[in-house]
Amino acid sequence: MKKNSMKKAFLAVMGSEKRQNITIPLLEVLLGLIAGTIIFLILGKNPIEAFAAFLQGCGLFPKENYAGGRGMFTDFLSYLDNWTPMIFAALAVAVAFKAGLFNIGVSGQMLLSGFIATITVGYSPLPAVVAKPLVILIGVVVGALLGGLIGYLKHRFNINEVVSAIMINYILQYLLSFFILSFYTNPITRQSNVVSDASRLTLQDVMIGDYKTVIPLGFLLALVAVAVMHYFINFTKFGYELKAVGFNGRASRYAGINVRRTIMKAMMTSGALAGLAGVTYYLGYLGSIQPRVLADLGYDSIAVSLLGNANPIGIVFSSFLITVISKGSTYMSSAVSVDQEIGSVITGLMLLFAACGAFVRYKLHMARVSVEEEAREAGKAGKGGDEK
Amino acid sequence: MSTIIIDGMAFAMPLFIIAVGGIYSERSGVTNLALEGFLGAGGFFGALFVACTSSLFAASSQLPMYLSLLVAMVGGGLYALLHAVLCIKFKANQVISGVVVNIIAMALTDFLTSQINTSVFGASSDRFVLSVSSRFTVPVLSSIPVLGGFFTNVYPFEVIILLVALAAYYLLYKTTFGMRLRACGDNPSAVDAAGGDVAGIRYIAVMLSGALSGLGGMCFAYSIFANYSSSIYVGYGYLAIAAMIFGNWKILPTFWACVLFGFARSGGYRLVQVLGMPSTYSDLIMILPYLLTLLLLVFFSKNNRSPRALGEIYDKGKR
Repeated sequence: MKKNSMKKAFLAVMGSEKRQNITIPLLEVLLGLIAGTIIFLILGKNPIEAFAAFLQGCGLFPKENYAGGRGMFTDFLSYLDNWTPMIFAALAVAVAFKAGLFNIGVSGQMLLSGFIATITVGYSPLPAVVAKPLVILIGVVVGALLGGLIGYLKHRFNINEVVSAIMINYILQYLLSFFILSFYTNPITRQSNVVSDASRLTLQDVMIGDYKTVIPLGFLLALVAVAVMHYFINFTKFGYELKAVGFNGRASRYAGINVRRTIMKAMMTSGALAGLAGVTYYLGYLGSIQPRVLADLGYDSIAVSLLGNANPIGIVFSSFLITVISKGSTYMSSAVSVDQEIGSVITGLMLLFAACGAFVRYKLHMARVSVEEEAREAGKAGKGGDEK
Repeated sequence: MSTIIIDGMAFAMPLFIIAVGGIYSERSGVTNLALEGFLGAGGFFGALFVACTSSLFAASSQLPMYLSLLVAMVGGGLYALLHAVLCIKFKANQVISGVVVNIIAMALTDFLTSQINTSVFGASSDRFVLSVSSRFTVPVLSSIPVLGGFFTNVYPFEVIILLVALAAYYLLYKTTFGMRLRACGDNPSAVDAAGGDVAGIRYIAVMLSGALSGLGGMCFAYSIFANYSSSIYVGYGYLAIAAMIFGNWKILPTFWACVLFGFARSGGYRLVQVLGMPSTYSDLIMILPYLLTLLLLVFFSKNNRSPRALGEIYDKGKR
């Protein structure tokens, strides 16, 4: 009896099937934060101070003091600058995910599109009006081609997309680092030469009031991409086919959906979005490419996408959160002196809980069924009693 | 020529035992993309053991190495429980679970390595330093032309891996347990009907997978890096998966695939040395195993027959 009331209470908190789409991710995040709190306590740090430091590092909470010409607003815009590629990358994972595919090659697609845009447009004397749209175009095309390659290998040769994407990631990482180190390296920073301001998607050193800030132009594009993907997934034939294939490939083939073409389309869309993440990251946020390193952001985007239920609107919120953790961890590390890797640990733990999301949904469903059944039984028993 | 064989085998053997781990898990029906995380976690436990006990042993003693291999197996097996619980108990999507388990392993071992170094050993470092493994040369056999390379400068762990692999082969193909394990991957309902415990067998299979990967990870840490740090995550777990796929989920063909990878890699490095190319070209050589994997996958994936129930969550109620 007591167990049943617990069940009811849990059901009431988690809400109806529809509300669960929000409450389950919230639960996952909450569990991740609790786990993070426990880690901070074990290390003997004040968790509130630590979490506040995450926010301070992102300009969402005022720091005690700022260097000259910098303020909370500076940090916030720099945070937006970092958030932008994360939105694109998470959308990329989400689109593939809807079709039942796992695009773990986002960081490779980001690197290649960023690299090609850098050496073609980034090092050219083109004026801003031409250069910026061209950078975006290259990002989309290169990303789509690379994503398409993974899709092609999947449906033509039956190669698991995770394995092929990882192989392509490593090949690109070493191949491009070879080119960067041989031809484009800056001897002082040991990174590729910084791209021209005209081609850069983030305006640098803009004075707003007294503060020196950056303006991430890509952020607007990211919001547009969210709206467009939301429309495509929910209101078009393409989105319907995508979800049908992801749900049951064989059934959709019998229903007359061209599964191969859908897989190709999904991977190309995913790649294009990853390409946009690449150009906003390498030609926006950073301005240069570090050889032999794949962006962590590409892997974090998996967490973002899972937490956001692979839903474009959900992704806006989950990417906001994960970027706070990843970007804020640098400041947090210096403020409370804990290794900044703890950021990825917290993200990882949220991922762990997110992976159990389907199970929670299943349990809730079972609980609801059993509660309903009991109510029906009780009703019957009551009626039976009256008759007697 | 003998350098190619020596280095090639030193790379191929750990890869092979990790791939055998993958075979165990996948033949039981649990998709395993988590090998990368398993090998890293196993290596972490082994290296932690070495770091904690280094004061107890003489500097030249080889005993810690053998013990650390054992600890790595236990640690890897325990860490694999995470994947097993997610896949079997929590019915998570096995591909997602594998990737998540990898990400957590990387984050956690990286964090713990530097945290333990600062708070326990009082040194700010992101790695555990391991001793250098001794090597041995078999007297007569090593003087055979060309093939002598297989008996020259051998790491002791290569022999251990060979023995463990033989045991794994025996267990998988010659025992009742092994037969049931393989049946779990092809037709779990049949195992259930015959009175076998599908979930139990899969738990054991995934844990064995973790133990074997942990052993492989520790050997990698000794042979290639001579210390343990996050640089152990360079995708060898995924290479092992690829080797397993060429090997058609069978142990012996998988062995040849691993040997091929090993020789491609060591041959490439040798080529750079012989031709006297600048060190940046080593990046190009690093590509070889991955590129070879991709090409071989293109040629061999089509005819492969993966375990029939691979990746399916077994539900007793479903018939």
